[in-house]
Amino acid sequence: MDMKGKLLVTLVASAMLATACGGAATTPSPSIGSPLVIGSAISLTGSQAKEGNLAKQGYDLWYDWIQAQGGITVNGVKHPVTLIYEDDQSKPDLSATLLEKLITAEHAQFILGPYGSAATATDAVIAEKDGIPMVEANGAAQAIFSKGYKYTFGVLSPANKYLTGVIDMAATLSPKPTTVAMLSANDNFSVEVARAVVEYAPSKGMQVVFNKTYPAAAPDLSGLLSQVKPLNPDIILNSGHLAEAIAINKAAKDLNINAKIFAYSVGPSTPDFVNALGHDANYVYDGSQWTPQVKYSPQFYLSVNQYVLAYKTKYSATAAPDYHVAESTAACLALQKAMENAKSLDPAKVRDALASLDVMTFFGEIKFDSRGINVFKPMVVEQIQGGVHYTVFPPNVANGQPQYPTPSWSQR
Amino acid sequence: MSQLLQQLVLGLLLGGVYVSVALGFSLVWGILNIVNLAHGAFVIIGAYVTWVLFSRLGVDPFLSLPVDAVVLFALGYGLQRGLINRVIRAPLLFTFLLTFGINLVIVSLLLLIFSPDFRSVTPSYSGSGLSLGSVTIPYIGLARLGVAMLLALVLWFVLNRTRIGAGIQAVGADRDAAQLVGIDLRHVYALTFAIGAAFAGVAGGLIGLQQSITPTAGDPFTLQSFAVVILGGLGRVSATIAGGLLFGLIQVLGLNAPGLGAGYSNAIAFAVLVVVLAFRPQGLLGRLA
Amino acid sequence: MTKPFRPPATALRRLFLGGAAVVLLYVLLAPLSSTDAGQQLGLPFLTDRLWFRVATTVAMFVVLASAWNIIGGLTGYASFGNVAFFGLGAYTTGVLVSLRQWPFVLALLLAPVVPALFALVIGVPLLRLHGHYFAVASLGVGVAVGEVVNNLQPLGASTGLFLPIVRSNLLFFYLMLAAAALAVLVTWVILHTRFGYGLLAIRENEEAAAVIGVNTTFYKVAALMIAAALTGLAGGIFAQWNTFINQENVFPIEYNVEMILMAVLGGAGTLLGPVAGAVTLELVILRLAGGGAAAAYSQIGLGVLLAVTVIFLPRGVIDFFGGQSRLSLGALRRSLRETSV
Repeated sequence: MDMKGKLLVTLVASAMLATACGGAATTPSPSIGSPLVIGSAISLTGSQAKEGNLAKQGYDLWYDWIQAQGGITVNGVKHPVTLIYEDDQSKPDLSATLLEKLITAEHAQFILGPYGSAATATDAVIAEKDGIPMVEANGAAQAIFSKGYKYTFGVLSPANKYLTGVIDMAATLSPKPTTVAMLSANDNFSVEVARAVVEYAPSKGMQVVFNKTYPAAAPDLSGLLSQVKPLNPDIILNSGHLAEAIAINKAAKDLNINAKIFAYSVGPSTPDFVNALGHDANYVYDGSQWTPQVKYSPQFYLSVNQYVLAYKTKYSATAAPDYHVAESTAACLALQKAMENAKSLDPAKVRDALASLDVMTFFGEIKFDSRGINVFKPMVVEQIQGGVHYTVFPPNVANGQPQYPTPSWSQR
Repeated sequence: MSQLLQQLVLGLLLGGVYVSVALGFSLVWGILNIVNLAHGAFVIIGAYVTWVLFSRLGVDPFLSLPVDAVVLFALGYGLQRGLINRVIRAPLLFTFLLTFGINLVIVSLLLLIFSPDFRSVTPSYSGSGLSLGSVTIPYIGLARLGVAMLLALVLWFVLNRTRIGAGIQAVGADRDAAQLVGIDLRHVYALTFAIGAAFAGVAGGLIGLQQSITPTAGDPFTLQSFAVVILGGLGRVSATIAGGLLFGLIQVLGLNAPGLGAGYSNAIAFAVLVVVLAFRPQGLLGRLA
Repeated sequence: MTKPFRPPATALRRLFLGGAAVVLLYVLLAPLSSTDAGQQLGLPFLTDRLWFRVATTVAMFVVLASAWNIIGGLTGYASFGNVAFFGLGAYTTGVLVSLRQWPFVLALLLAPVVPALFALVIGVPLLRLHGHYFAVASLGVGVAVGEVVNNLQPLGASTGLFLPIVRSNLLFFYLMLAAAALAVLVTWVILHTRFGYGLLAIRENEEAAAVIGVNTTFYKVAALMIAAALTGLAGGIFAQWNTFINQENVFPIEYNVEMILMAVLGGAGTLLGPVAGAVTLELVILRLAGGGAAAAYSQIGLGVLLAVTVIFLPRGVIDFFGGQSRLSLGALRRSLRETSV
């Protein structure tokens, strides 16, 4: 029996149950419906295993909570959730095949996105062809959303916002920094981040004095940084991933390059960054999708503090969750809310509900623009101070002041 | 001008890393005619061993290098004696494929044991360097170059001044003739491979100081070792040194190629490789066997 | 009357070929059950989207493995850079369709041409090298081409290219199947002409081949060009089928190793070896990959499988089914002794 048939039977059955329960003026408790299958092809092994596992943690946190609730309530019927993962080994082609397997063989009715913009782009095509809504939280390249795809939605702020917040923050500091060096890895996400900075900085009175891309996953970046040194920029920005952030920081210290601000997109927010670099991680800023200091009042699901506690309990962690975890949970929340709003499990109706979604969660406002990406949630800037992450910008969510300017290496 | 000088310095220091990584690879290829696609995995195992000793027992990374060597020596001997020896007389391609399979297994095992978390070794003295005018020479980079040269010296000594080295060179020159004069082929093969692995392990210990360690971080090193061997040539330790230093210089200078973005540095490096192969396949100093 | 004794190898061979024919027939006709015409006839759905996805991927690897076989198996030049041809074919089609709005079919016609021309240009200098040196040189080319493409703005650079979505599983499956058939046909033709004998001669002893009058440079470059054209064709189909291409997914170095593995495991230098190898290995890879969250174990399994096959079956699986040798413990032990030191 197909989806619609099952739903009809469930509804009829629950209606009959409701009337059979007697004429008391209480709302009947939701009856149990068929299991809801959600699938995700994610990188659990391979070069992006670390980030993929963070996303999985985010999905699992929501899963535990929704199972404790008994399932997602759609039109008065509670549907327990079945969450199926496939490991795409960090290979985008495999991601597409596994996604097709999830949809066809494992009957996934909705999809949670993979990690990384390349895999997301490939999976978006499958979602579009098969007409299955996919909500993703880990692919921020805007190119994915410029093709008019109707079935892919991104809950995270797009790539072009990653480091512009740092520029905004810098504009408020004194002495105001005036020169910027922009280094970028050569992958679609990082290039977008860098381009946005280069276009935005002049409007804040800052001049971009250096703007170069390097091959992604380059092991040694001291050669590139040595070109930056004589220019003596006030701000050194890197757009890339964790490995590159670590390499750049080490190279900066090796070459005794001092700047007033070191900021990297992706990397400093993870505990690995601090563990790998020790004291050298201090004073580094990053643009973050979310930090535990944000002050959003959620309309449903856990509050910020409850979420942090749930994370620390489930994963026996001492540090608060990194934003990759939080944004992944947000994707689940968006899907859940859309189903509740649509009062249906029909993919097309849920898709429409996603397009018109507007809800406040612990992660921030989730609302999608006409392209399908969430431009309504601001990015925040955090800084590592004494090995601990502090949110330092914008001021209304900050729990710390930027330690500015960054002292030279010899003074630390 | 001073910027160029700084880049040359950095290129040489990076070259030092490449030399240390490629020494073992070049030995195994030159003597045994085995292209070891698991070489990068050996390097990363060495990095993990150093990291474990550093983070759990506080052992200084330079002091843990001998441990890396011993661990990888044992592993290499076992692998060669047990597995790779079985395909030596098969067409060249088979050792490629076998070592590829070994690489797959090692990387997956590392993933299971260490998880994909990013590690790095950052001792307290990292980041300090020598300042000559406007040129900075990081101490750790210098130490790495020093260790690489020491390794090269040790290898040269073993190959040219010891009996076992003579045996290894004999096997490399003519395997059947060597067997005729009584050399135990299986043992010498395993020994050679083990030495190559040991050197890879030491290189790995040095790598962890400079970059992140993850299970999949080893593959680029195999690729780089190819490049070094091609540039410098096979058959002599000096060839590997020349190739390694040259490759380091090309990579760093490639980041500054006029007119092209720094993103082309990989393309440039490999294009140089192809050109060298097309016009001087024995490399700078190699002997085309 | 004593019946003549039939050696089991022939029976095995007949069984294998018969089974392969049945499978082929099924693969050819089953997709028709999902067309409107098939539905009207009341046929059950024999194929679903996953079936198409897997089948098209397998067909693609048949093309890649067979194409590699021409330069690697028949001619003896193990190329590690064929992935460059795949990517060039994919980008040719991708650029023409997405940036120049060419119709797909027209763009596909050019997909084999660009890689073949590229093969001509690099083939002449590189095919003078032998053994490991050629392997490394071709690897260098494979890496370099991917890196260059990743940097070229007019080709989409690191953002990649999005082609317009074409919703037809049938089209791409049959296209890829046709390409696979073409690859096998080309190999068959080569094996039955002087050109093929020339290639085999080059593989066995290049100097001797030159002495008896084979123009080795011409033959080698031609073989590389043919391999490049076939590989590029697969790339062109892939570009439209996958709809999104970038350096990561059309220049993956792992594809190189996989296509060599398939050809070798199946039987390098034979006609159907690469086909058997491609079908078996790709299905194994996909089966192991789809094992849920425990993929690390599946990769270990793949590595072990590889090692075992390489050590015990150096002439490839087709050896046994082709009737050349028998599947017995003694045969295995003998082959092992041949290849060990």
